[in-house]
Amino acid sequence: MDKKIRIKDLTKIYRKGTIEIPALQNVSIEIEPGRFYAIVGKSGCGKSTLLNLIGGLDKPTSGSIYFNGADLAEMSRKDLVIHRRYNVGMIFQSFNLILSQTALENIILPMIFTGIPKRERIAKGKILLEQVGLADRITHIPNELSGGEAQRVAIARAMANEPEVILADEPTGNLDSQTSEEIVNLLVKLNKDKGLTILMVTHDLETAENVSDKIIRLKDGMVI
Amino acid sequence: MNLADMTKMGFANLWRTKLRSTLTILGVIIGIGALASMVSFGTGMQKNFTDAFKRSDLFTSMNVTPGEINFNELSHGDLSSISNLMNKTPEPLTDSILERIREIKGVAIAFPEETFPGRVKIQHEETSTNIQPFPAHMAEYHPFNELLAGSFYSDDSSKNVIVRWELLHNMGLIVDDPDLNIRLTKEDSINGRQIIPADSIIGKTISITTATINRDLPKNPLGILMNRDFQPFSEVELEYTISGILKRRDEFALFRFRGGVFVPLETARSIPRLNFSSVWDILNKNRKEGAYSSFYVRVNKMEEMTRVREEIENLGVSVFSISDQLAEMKRAFIIIDSLLGAIGTVALIIAGLGIINTMIMSILERTREIGIMKAVGGSENQIKTIFFVEAAFIGLIGGIFGLGLGWLVTRIANLIVKTQLMDFDAPEMDLFYFPIWLILGAIGFSILVSLAAGLYPAIRAARVDPVKALRHD
Repeated sequence: MDKKIRIKDLTKIYRKGTIEIPALQNVSIEIEPGRFYAIVGKSGCGKSTLLNLIGGLDKPTSGSIYFNGADLAEMSRKDLVIHRRYNVGMIFQSFNLILSQTALENIILPMIFTGIPKRERIAKGKILLEQVGLADRITHIPNELSGGEAQRVAIARAMANEPEVILADEPTGNLDSQTSEEIVNLLVKLNKDKGLTILMVTHDLETAENVSDKIIRLKDGMVI
Repeated sequence: MNLADMTKMGFANLWRTKLRSTLTILGVIIGIGALASMVSFGTGMQKNFTDAFKRSDLFTSMNVTPGEINFNELSHGDLSSISNLMNKTPEPLTDSILERIREIKGVAIAFPEETFPGRVKIQHEETSTNIQPFPAHMAEYHPFNELLAGSFYSDDSSKNVIVRWELLHNMGLIVDDPDLNIRLTKEDSINGRQIIPADSIIGKTISITTATINRDLPKNPLGILMNRDFQPFSEVELEYTISGILKRRDEFALFRFRGGVFVPLETARSIPRLNFSSVWDILNKNRKEGAYSSFYVRVNKMEEMTRVREEIENLGVSVFSISDQLAEMKRAFIIIDSLLGAIGTVALIIAGLGIINTMIMSILERTREIGIMKAVGGSENQIKTIFFVEAAFIGLIGGIFGLGLGWLVTRIANLIVKTQLMDFDAPEMDLFYFPIWLILGAIGFSILVSLAAGLYPAIRAARVDPVKALRHD
């Protein structure tokens, strides 16, 4: 099977009333499996939109995204749910953890949706927490965690259903430089050790150049 | 995602906003409480009524009267019964008809139902009442099978009689009943009356004085005017022994027998009487010997009513039974129950609006959370289910506690009615009734209404756009 993510003529136009705001225009890229991509560009250039489209959270206005040979643009809402469950894991700038749940519960949530038995998912959740270095934070709720710790929990959650691709939307945007480095290193480690494809949106060109195999530059919704 | 996960999630979500959840559930509790107590009142009324009917054998007994106009046919435009009536005289209720009724399969007992007035005297107390000839066989049936004291006479030629509690009361003999908490009124105390034990009446002599028309008319009708000693009526006094006392009837129990004193059937034949139910008797004209105005017929089982009734009607006489009215009564009760239910349902609908409000608030607050769930692989159905479980939880808890509240309210209402509105010595009675279908139905209905109220919020939650939700503050 074709393991590449093939993006062809991808266009996304947001409508606000009668005004059309183009977020992405005719973007065509190919993502090789197991590599680390950095997506850079100014804010509003369409980076997050690209990630949301690959993550199946949104549907393109036109164009196609081939993932494992299937076009996300053609998928039903149900199929997109399957895509989000098993194919990709998402990480956000603002962590997006459920504030009322503990670190472990947050990690377990995706496994509840995929129907993994309770005992199994708890065991797996603990292993994941250990892997991101938070074995002692199992029962802490997000407000009791530092920014770096919260993002590690989010990374562990993204990996819960063993996806092939991690989509990280400015994962270091809210973190200080030292913590940022730790998070980026964690992503690099996942890329190297587990062979995960990583797409990381970032403002930080220096980091992007240091860690990524390839940089995708976006400007006004177009690849440059 | 299984039920246990969803239940846990739903409950956790409610627990997070305890105050709001509690208030919402309180709304449901009040709604279900109102509904349950209303319906329980309707059901209780029906039950008290039906029980009283059953106890008073109204479903198993009927009255046979001479052939009459069939009002039912008449109201449907069928005039045949009128022409029948014009063409032939109604079949009189004779002993031979009675015999034929007794031979019908399923008939437990049949006897002429008649009463005649008389004066009764026990010791020095005296009053007037109705005397009713009554077969000893009726001792098997309620209320004659559970007398306050003494025993029913064993055969129809016995010299024993049964008296009613009320008759003794009228005579100033206030008989104690351990079940009823009998007390003296002020008037009783002023008159120096006392409560006496029931056993003190048993074995006492009761004299019955009846009047009859003096048939020894002077040959010359003017003689009536001239003979000062002529009495148109003559009186006869006979003595009997009281063998049993019938219990006091509570207000809700229907009692169809009018007699104050029940006299064995054969014994009663020897009592001279004026039967005012028959005008012919007074005029002593055209009266067929041995004809009665009505028969009391009792069947063994309720199911046999219709067949026995038809067979009796085939003898050319009319039959009336209260079970005819049963269908109509049931309809009336359905209307009453529906009205009471509707009032309760209004309360529940308001509670339902409260649920919708709470859940929409909850969705607005949790928009981001819903977005997260979608991003990590939650399907629309799963998210819908989580909210449905929350709604069902509100319904379940509200239903259970609402039922408790309804029960409590009915207990209090019952107590108030008992202590304030009814006679202090009135028998125990429950105005309300909670059958199992009401208990399960109330909880089920509560869940159903809650789910219906949760339908729109749940769909709205499932439709949340994850991209917008994740940007949501």
